[in-house]
Amino acid sequence: MLELRLVQGSLLKKVLEAIKDLVNDANFDCSATGFSLQAMDSSHVALVALLLRSEGFEHYRCDRNISMGMNLNNMSKMLKCAGNDDIITIKADDGSDTVTFMFESPTQDKIADFEMKLMDIDSEHLGIPEAEYHAIVRMPSSEFQRICKDLSSIGDTVVISVTKEGVKFSTRGDIGTANIVCRQNTTVDKPEEATVIEMNEPVSLTFALRYMNSFTKATPLSNTVTISLSSELPVVVEYKIAEMGYIRFYLAPKIEEDEDETKPQA
Amino acid sequence: MGIKGLTKLLADNAPKAMKEQKFESFFGRKIAIDASMSIYQFLIVVGRSGTEMLTNEAGEVTSHLQGMFSRTIRLLEAGLKPVYVFDGKPPDLKKQELAKRFSRRADATEDLTEALETGNKEEIEKFSKRTVKVTKQHNEDCKKLLRLMGVPVIEAPSEAEAQCAALCKSGKVYAVASEDMDSLTFGAPKFLRHLMDPSSRKIPVMEFDITKILEELNLTMDQFIDLCILSGCDYCDSIRGIGGQTALKLIRQHGSIENILENINRERYQIPDDWPYQEARRLFKEPQVFSDDEQLDIKWSAPDEEGLITFLVNENGFNSDRVTKAIEKIKTAKNKSSQGRLESFFKPVVSSSIPIKRKETEDKAAKETTNKKSKAGGGSKRKK
Repeated sequence: MLELRLVQGSLLKKVLEAIKDLVNDANFDCSATGFSLQAMDSSHVALVALLLRSEGFEHYRCDRNISMGMNLNNMSKMLKCAGNDDIITIKADDGSDTVTFMFESPTQDKIADFEMKLMDIDSEHLGIPEAEYHAIVRMPSSEFQRICKDLSSIGDTVVISVTKEGVKFSTRGDIGTANIVCRQNTTVDKPEEATVIEMNEPVSLTFALRYMNSFTKATPLSNTVTISLSSELPVVVEYKIAEMGYIRFYLAPKIEEDEDETKPQA
Repeated sequence: MGIKGLTKLLADNAPKAMKEQKFESFFGRKIAIDASMSIYQFLIVVGRSGTEMLTNEAGEVTSHLQGMFSRTIRLLEAGLKPVYVFDGKPPDLKKQELAKRFSRRADATEDLTEALETGNKEEIEKFSKRTVKVTKQHNEDCKKLLRLMGVPVIEAPSEAEAQCAALCKSGKVYAVASEDMDSLTFGAPKFLRHLMDPSSRKIPVMEFDITKILEELNLTMDQFIDLCILSGCDYCDSIRGIGGQTALKLIRQHGSIENILENINRERYQIPDDWPYQEARRLFKEPQVFSDDEQLDIKWSAPDEEGLITFLVNENGFNSDRVTKAIEKIKTAKNKSSQGRLESFFKPVVSSSIPIKRKETEDKAAKETTNKKSKAGGGSKRKK
């Protein structure tokens, strides 16, 4: 038996909008800790990890750890039927092959039940170790979204480099090149407008802009975004969800391949 | 060719072992390709109408070169790293099958002459396709072309599929691409179909995973090989009246061909007098393949531009502009940095959650145990 009541229903709508283009089908995992999801895109280049902690729900009942396989496109279709102020309750019975989304209007004068078929999804779960990152950049999420969008009109890939000067986003395409540098800036009116750069070591990595652009669909969830970079690891792009948890995107970097060519393949 | 009806058998009994994948999602992967199969496809499909085929000035067919050139470029552009494996000497057991194919071709040639006389276009098309044979010259042409393109070529000691499977088992390539299902019988861990289909057909690549197949069928690899032999392979006849579905049932019931032979109703099923199933099994389990690193020189290098132009434009009448453009494509594809995958950084872990929806496999396993108890010979449809 599972029953999760989320007063701020629009949150779930936004979460789905943020991930449904990246992942088609995914298992939602429910435990006493919270409602979570881990899924990769079909080519296993990007991964999304979502956590909505149980404390963030008005009512949270989950008797045992269970997972529910859902088609995210279909789920999004259903959630689009909920009003932005609606309270959303997710319900499922043990052994059932459906999940129910209940939408209640704030004035309690309208209640809608949407039942969706569950799927049997064979998904791989990856273990993501805690890591020390060489550089962590926190900046306004809208700024990051703008940068990704602008650069993708010039090139396919973005080089993100962090140095003492700041963080540089650069790209190269048929028509020319583009470089955007953001410096640390904490003298702002509102804390969410700040750009904060923590750097232990300079780092420079190349990523496909297509994926970065897809991550920025999570911008409505948070005013700030945190980008964590290490030369041996995928980048983490994190959007914090107020009082509830986070949505994190991991993206494998592009690799130069020369060494691979000459070295004998073991 | 290959294993009779295996695709359907797997679709019915091990649906989770096959996954549709986008062609593009194989970027950066090393793939062993059964060259002879591809050349055969090219000869049938590329630039053909009726009995006319693409030829050079000397009148020699060039469909295989055209096909090999453009498809390989498509693979390289998508970031794949193809290794082509060519057939060596066929095993003795396959000679019978080859003789059969030879006679079928001879028949088709006769039919074709007849069709040409009557002028029936459909028939001409049909029979001329059947007369197609991959010659030594076709193979040599393609090898030369691939080497000029900087794509590695391996000449297998015997069957190409077996060599492909061996490359895949040893981790030298990610998967084997062929249309011939016996790659699975040779134990290729991952097997791709439709990788070499023209993009215009828009058929997704079908990925088969042998461990999942065995898991879903609930068989060991040895039992799977026996199943393939019973279903009908290139190396020996099968028993009349036993198709894939019956073979699967019998293997599940008795475990091996030996046990089946002891228990089967010999009145109902005629076992061929000379039935070298053990030899066939040996060919699948221990095929003749190279395993030395020295014999397997797998390296992707820069294309030989001049060589390609001489070979394709001067000797085989390809359009010079198109070849130059294609060479540019190969060069840009080579210079692209490749996209990493998350698996190279994070390792899979077992998720602790239990699906709320009971898995179908559990249901299936339950059904199977009841099925085993019921006598063989009943309907093959499972009942609740």
